Amino acid sequence: MSVETAPNQLNVPYLDISDPSFAMQSEELRNAREASWYAKTNYGIAVLRYEEVSKLLKSPKLIQGSAKWPAHNGVHGGLFFDWWTKNLLVLEGEDHHRIRRLLNPAFSPRLIKDLVPRFQALANELIDEFIDSGSCEFIGDFAEPYATRVLTILLGIPESEWPTIARLASTIGLALGVTFKQDLDKVDAAVAELYDYAEDLIKDRQANPGEDFVSRLVLASRDGDKLNDEELRNALVLLIFGGMDTTRNQLGLAMQSFMRNPEQWELLSARPELGAKAVEEVMRINPTVTWVTREAVEDFTYQGLEIAAGTTVHLFTQASGTDPLAFPNPELDLLGEHPAHYGFGGGVHHCLGHFVARADMSEALPLLAGRLGNPHLTGGDEWLPDSGNTGPIRLPIGFTKRI
Amino acid sequence: MSQITVDRKLCDNHGQCAIAAPKVFSMNDEGVLEFEEIFDDALLDEVEEAIDVCPVQAIFVKD
Repeated sequence: MSVETAPNQLNVPYLDISDPSFAMQSEELRNAREASWYAKTNYGIAVLRYEEVSKLLKSPKLIQGSAKWPAHNGVHGGLFFDWWTKNLLVLEGEDHHRIRRLLNPAFSPRLIKDLVPRFQALANELIDEFIDSGSCEFIGDFAEPYATRVLTILLGIPESEWPTIARLASTIGLALGVTFKQDLDKVDAAVAELYDYAEDLIKDRQANPGEDFVSRLVLASRDGDKLNDEELRNALVLLIFGGMDTTRNQLGLAMQSFMRNPEQWELLSARPELGAKAVEEVMRINPTVTWVTREAVEDFTYQGLEIAAGTTVHLFTQASGTDPLAFPNPELDLLGEHPAHYGFGGGVHHCLGHFVARADMSEALPLLAGRLGNPHLTGGDEWLPDSGNTGPIRLPIGFTKRI
Repeated sequence: MSQITVDRKLCDNHGQCAIAAPKVFSMNDEGVLEFEEIFDDALLDEVEEAIDVCPVQAIFVKD
């Protein structure tokens, strides 16, 4: 049977995932997950349960499903299109593995650890700015500058240049939205500006290599092979494209989750060593990347369902991370022992920058918990839709100053 | 020669080690990790990259 002809298809739930009001954390989705491990959608199938998401995420029968994203949106050329088709996110097989091998050493957890004191200093500097007022707009005052300045620290560029990086990353991020075609000129202009920026940075480090992250990329070699200038440039654009919005949104979602679970915020405040666990827990129950897209490369059968080559398979992260079959107590619990979440995707396309994201958020959350007591919404919050990458656009909060 | 151990409770079969050190680690048709427990020290750099890159840090080496 296939998705279209399954005899029991009346029992298979249907989810309209492109409806702007579609909600991941909803009765509709919980009911669908209870009824079936997958749902039909307006665009492929959605996998809802932990065990099946875990298996299919890493299945050799599926490849990354975003390669055709520009074409699906009527975009068939231009700077973004060219970059997209050559970036690590969509490359497969040996083309992917070669680039990944050359990029990996710069993202080593051993090297990222050295940046921790700078992440801590940055978090405290940002909190100092608003702590006395008892309120802040958490995204504009903390999450966005923090996520972007972490990138400037990593890239070894002046932190004062963060607004430029934030603007370019956000503009290129429009390419992932439903208005991509209308925004194409803006997106391509931002890619051009970021290319110039990246090319200058690469030239500088080629002339004056040091111990920093970009120098490591420039010098990276394996079996006599190196990244050429175009590959280096594309990688830096990917870092900025993939590293800013995601971290900003995830910090906002973390604050939302802790505001809903004040006793867990108190626990984190009292035990800052739970910072790393806090990151895992909020990404399990409230991930910014709400689904990971894959595409079947061949016809195959999984749990009695025939999945035809070309079928789009959405792997739902939040639904899988709160699946009662895998998590009998799915609530946020910093002391709980839970299986790994898939907020960073998985398999060969597992997020390249996850050690950076984990390290910077692990420092930020306990510092925030230690200084901001009883954080709460004060109204005026605005949110991205749940389809694709979600999170708060604005998150005004009030709190009691601790220190 | 050195010996690899993998904590199978942690290992989630992402396969990043098989990209970093394909002479030592591989994924079978079912997507499950297979590896050579004993490896030649000439491959130590590759194996160390695999250890570093493992998303769940499940790989260990002893001499």
